[in-house]
Amino acid sequence: MNELIYGLITGIIFGFLLQKGRVIRYDKQLGALRLLDMTIVKFMLSTVIVAMVGVYLLKDLGLVKLSIKPTILGGNIIGGLIFGFGWALLGYCPGTSLGAVGEGRWDGLWGILGMLAGAAVFAEFYPVLKTSVLTWGVYGKITIPTMLGINHWIVIVIFAILTVLLFRWFEKKRL
Amino acid sequence: MNNQEEPKGWNPYLAGALAGLLIIFSVWFTGKYVGASTTFVRGAGFIEKVFASERVSKMEYFVKELPKIDWQWMFVVGILLGSLISATTSKSFRSQAVPAMWEGRFGPNKTKRATTAFVGGVIAMFGARLADG
Repeated sequence: MNELIYGLITGIIFGFLLQKGRVIRYDKQLGALRLLDMTIVKFMLSTVIVAMVGVYLLKDLGLVKLSIKPTILGGNIIGGLIFGFGWALLGYCPGTSLGAVGEGRWDGLWGILGMLAGAAVFAEFYPVLKTSVLTWGVYGKITIPTMLGINHWIVIVIFAILTVLLFRWFEKKRL
Repeated sequence: MNNQEEPKGWNPYLAGALAGLLIIFSVWFTGKYVGASTTFVRGAGFIEKVFASERVSKMEYFVKELPKIDWQWMFVVGILLGSLISATTSKSFRSQAVPAMWEGRFGPNKTKRATTAFVGGVIAMFGARLADG
C-alpha cells in the first residue's frame, strides 16, 4: 500500500515538473522531432545527467541497486524505429500523454486509447516475437562502462561534457 | 480562458534537473525507477479481462505483466494529476482538441486529429513494448 502512495506522489511531482517545463504538449514534441525547438531535449538530458550522477553515487556507497534492461538489438532497434514512427503521428509519448490530458489537450485521450490497443496487439504477437525478433542480438544486461571495461565515472564525465557542449550549441542557435 | 496569454513556464534545464533529483530520491527511498509503458500493458489486461478473463490469464505476456495496480500504475496516474495541478494553478490549462502546430498544417478537423492520434498510439506502444522501453 505504501508503495502505491509513493508511486502516486512521485507521479504528481513528475507531472507538475513536466507541465512547468512545457514539455508535454504536441507542439513541443513535434518541435523537437522537426529540429525546431529543443525544449524537451534540454529537459530530458538535464534529468539524465542529474539522475546519472546521483544514482551512481548512491550505488558506489552501496545504498541502491541499478535496474538494467537487457540489450536485445532486434527488439531495441526495430522497436525503436516503430516507436518513433508512432510517436511522430501521436505527438505524445506514453507518460506525457497523461500529462497532456492534465493540461486540457483532449487529443491525448485518443492517444491513450490507441496505446492501450497497441499494448493489447503486442500481447497477441508476443509468443511469435519472442522466438524471432527478440532472439536477434541478445547481449544481456550490459552497460557502456562494463562493455568498455572502464570506470563508470569516466563515461559519466565524458557524457556530461558532451551534453553541456550540446546545450551551449542549442542556446547559440536559439533552438 | 483560451484567449488569455499563457505565462512562461520554468526554465527547462531547471525543471529537468529537478526531475532528476526526484528520480534520485525515488531510487534511494523506494528502489523504484520511473517508467510508463508497462502500465499500458496492465491497463489493456484489465480491460480484456472484463471480456475474456480466462483467455487473459493464459496469455504469456499478461502472465509476465499481470493486470494489477502497482507503483508505476500510480505514478502514471500521478502524472495526470500533477500536470492538472500545475496547469490550473498557473492559468496554463487549455481545453484543446487540435494542437496549434497540427492545425496550422492539417486544419481544424477533430476527427482527423483523433484518428491519427489513435493510430499513432497503437504503433508507438507496439514499438515501445518490442524495444522493452
